[in-house]
Amino acid sequence: MSGLKESLQKFHKIASSPKEQLKNYLAQDKKVVICAPVYTPEEIVHAMGMVPMGTWGADIEIKEAKTYFPAFICSVMQSVLELGIRGEFEGASAIIIPSLCDSLKCLGENWKSSVKNIPFIPMVYPQNRKADFGKAFTKAGYERVIADLEKATGQSFDDAKLTESIAIYNEHNAIMRQLSDCLNDYPEITAVDRNAIFQSAFYMEKSEHTALVKDLISELTKTEKTANNKIKIVTTGILVDAEDLLKILDDNDMQIVADNVASESRQYHVDAKPAETALDSLSCKFADMDNCSVLFNVDKAIAQYTVGLVSKYQANGVIFVMTKFCDPEEFDYVMIKKACAEKNIPLLLVEIDRQMTNYEQVRTAVETFKEILK
Amino acid sequence: MSNEVKKKSPPDPNSAKFKLGKIATDAYVDAQAAKDRGEMIGWCSSNFPVEIPETLGLAVCYPENQAAGIAARGGGERLCNVSEDDGYSNDICAYARINLAYAKIKDTPEQNMPEPDFLLCCNNICNCMIKWYENLAKDLNIPMIIIDIPFNPDYDVSDAQVAYVKAQFMEAIKQLEELTGKKWTEEKFQEVMEYSGRTSRAWLAATSEAKHTPSPFNGFDLLNHMAVMVTARGKKEAAEAMEVLHKEYLENVETGNSTFRGEEKHRIIFEGIACWPYLRATSTGLKSRGINMVTTIYADAFGFIYDDFDGMVKAYCNVPNAMNLEHARDKRVKLIKENHVEGLLVHTNRSCKLWSGFMAEMSRQIAAECEIPHVAFDGDQADPRNFSEAQYETRVQGLTEIMESKKGGC
Ligand code: SF4
Ligand code: SF4
Repeated sequence: MSGLKESLQKFHKIASSPKEQLKNYLAQDKKVVICAPVYTPEEIVHAMGMVPMGTWGADIEIKEAKTYFPAFICSVMQSVLELGIRGEFEGASAIIIPSLCDSLKCLGENWKSSVKNIPFIPMVYPQNRKADFGKAFTKAGYERVIADLEKATGQSFDDAKLTESIAIYNEHNAIMRQLSDCLNDYPEITAVDRNAIFQSAFYMEKSEHTALVKDLISELTKTEKTANNKIKIVTTGILVDAEDLLKILDDNDMQIVADNVASESRQYHVDAKPAETALDSLSCKFADMDNCSVLFNVDKAIAQYTVGLVSKYQANGVIFVMTKFCDPEEFDYVMIKKACAEKNIPLLLVEIDRQMTNYEQVRTAVETFKEILK
Repeated sequence: MSNEVKKKSPPDPNSAKFKLGKIATDAYVDAQAAKDRGEMIGWCSSNFPVEIPETLGLAVCYPENQAAGIAARGGGERLCNVSEDDGYSNDICAYARINLAYAKIKDTPEQNMPEPDFLLCCNNICNCMIKWYENLAKDLNIPMIIIDIPFNPDYDVSDAQVAYVKAQFMEAIKQLEELTGKKWTEEKFQEVMEYSGRTSRAWLAATSEAKHTPSPFNGFDLLNHMAVMVTARGKKEAAEAMEVLHKEYLENVETGNSTFRGEEKHRIIFEGIACWPYLRATSTGLKSRGINMVTTIYADAFGFIYDDFDGMVKAYCNVPNAMNLEHARDKRVKLIKENHVEGLLVHTNRSCKLWSGFMAEMSRQIAAECEIPHVAFDGDQADPRNFSEAQYETRVQGLTEIMESKKGGC
C-alpha cells in the first residue's frame, strides 16, 4: 500500500508545483516552451529538444490581467495572463497560443504587450479541419510554429525527431486512456487523486509521466480490489481541477468513471497515425479530433459522445462543470442537456471559475444530485 | 436633405435615407416572397461572402440584423429569456440568444423572417458564430455551410490562409449548387463584383466626408446604413443608394449643413457595436454635449474593393474582428487622423468577447499614438440588462471634460 501512496504523492507534488517543475528543467539547462490550451502541438516542441509545459491558469486573484481583459472573459485566460505578467513563467523561451475560441484569440493579442520577455507564437488551427485543404492549413500552421520556435530558441527541427516524439506522445495517450479505465476498479483513488494524475501530465516531459503512470498502474494491480459502492459519474467541461469541487464529489461518494474534460481525457482521444511525413501525421491527428466544444462539428457529436460514455461505463449521471464565461461550452451544454434528457440520464450543471472561494452552493447542488441518483 | 431631417417631414423617396431604408426592409420581404414561391432560402452570418448567395440568386436573411432590429424595438430581453429558459447562459452573445429564441418561437411583433432551409456561416467575426449555427442546424435539422476564416495573428494575410479560404469558397459554392439547383456563372459574379465595388467606393467616399469640419453627417447615421453595406452590397440598388448618400453629404459640405443637429463642438470615434436597446440614450448623451461621433471602424470595414476572386477571398480575411491588434489599431488611427477626431469612446460590449477582449490595450495604443483621450462604458448590443445610463453619462462627461480642457476651453 505504501508504494501506491508514494506513487500518488509524486503526482500531487508535481501537479501543485508547476513553477518548481519549470525551475528544475531550466536548472538542467533545458529550454521550456509554455503551451496554452488547447491542442497545442507539444510534439513539435518536444521534437526540437525542449520541454513543452502546459498551462491552464491557476486559482489566483486577478489584478494585472484586469487592465487587459474585461471581466466577462473566462478565468482560464485571465489567470494565464496574470501568471505571465507576474513572472511565473520567467525563463520560458516562448508561449504557443492556439486560437480555437474567441477568448484565446484575445490572449495572444494581449500577451504581446503585457509579457514582453516571453515571445508569443500563434498556432492558427482550421475549423474546417477534415478536408485536404484543412489539413494543409494545419500543416502550414505547424510550419509557422516551427519557424517561430527556431527563431525564439535557436533550436532546430527535424522530421525524423518528430516521428520519435509522436511515438512518445502516442504511448502517453494510450497509458492515460488505460489509466482512466483502470481507476474504475479502485474506488479508493479519489477524484482529487485522479485530477492530480491528469494535471501533472502538463508539467512533465511525457515519457517521464508515462513512466510514473505505469508505476501507478502496477502498484494498483498489486492491491486487492474492494467492493465498489460509489456513485458513478461522468464529468464533462473544460477544466475540473478545483480541489474544493473534487472534494465535494469525494465527500458524496462519487467516482469519476470517465470524462470528456478538455484538460483531461480530451487530450488523449486521438493518436497520430503514420503518414508521409511526421508533420503530416500530426496534421491528420488534428483533423481526426472531435467531441470537443472548440472544434466545429455540425452534428453536435459531443452530445451523443457524452451519452455514450454514460452507457459504456454504466454511470449514474453526468456532471457538467461549466467554466464561467466559456461560450463554446455554454452552447454545447444545451445540446448535451437535451441528449441526456432523451435518455433519462440525470445531469447536474455546476458553474465554477478560478476565483471562486465559496463552494457551499455547489455542495448543496451535488448533495441534491446524489439524492436523485440514489 | 438636411431640411428633411430638421423638420421631420415625410421622407423624400429620392433621399438616400429612404432608399437605404427600403433596401433593408425589402430584404425581408424578398426573402419571404422567395420562400412563398417555394425557393430555398438561407440564414446567413453578417460577414459571410454575400457575393456567393447573390451570384447564385439565393435569397438570404441576416439573423444579426434581425436581432439588432428586435433589440432596438424593445424585444431583446423577452427573446433572451426564451433561450435562457432553454439552458443558454446569459453570458452568450445576445444576438445568438435572440436568434435561437426566434428559431424556436418563429414569430415576433418586432421583425419576422422566413424559416431557413440552409445556413451560411462564416466565423471571420467570431467563433461564437460557429457554435450558434451548429446549434441552429441541429435544432432545425438543416444543412450548415461553413467558411472558416480564422483570426489572423499577423499583419498580413498569408498565402496559406488565402489558399485555405479560397478552397472553402469553392466548396461552399459547390455545396449550394447541389443543394439548391442554382448555378454559379462567371458573368453574374462579375456583375455582383462590380456592384459591390461601386457600393463600397461610394460608402468609403461618403464616410470620408467626415474629414470636413463640421462633419456633414451624424455618425449614428452610419450605424443604420451599414446594414445595407453588410447585406446588400452586391445589388444595383445598393450602389445607387450609396452614391446618393455620398452626393447628399457633398451637398451638405457645400451648404454647411449636417444631419448632426446643433453645434459640433467635439468629434469622436465610437468603438463597438451600437447599444441597440439604448440608441436614443447613447445618441442624446453625445448630442446634448455637442459631440458628433464622426466615424467608426465600420466606415472603413465595409469597403470591399477587389478585382477578382482571389482579391475577394483576401478582403474577407481582412474584416475587423479577424485582424490582429496592430492592424486593427492602425486602421483606427488612420480614421482618427483623417477625420480630426478628438476622443475615443469605447463600448465594452458584454456580448462580444472578441471585440472587447483586447480593446483595452488597443485603446491605450490608439490614444497614445493620436494623443487623444479615451473612455469606455459597459453595455450590450442587444440585452438591455447590461447597460447603465448613469455610468454612460459619467463616462461621456469625463471624456467631454478632457476634450474641453485640451482645447483650453471652459
Ligand atoms: S475554450 Fe472556454 S475556457 Fe477555454 S479559453 Fe476558450 S472560453 Fe476559456
Ligand atoms: S456580437 Fe460579437 S460575438 Fe456576437 S455575433 Fe457579433 S461578432 Fe460574434
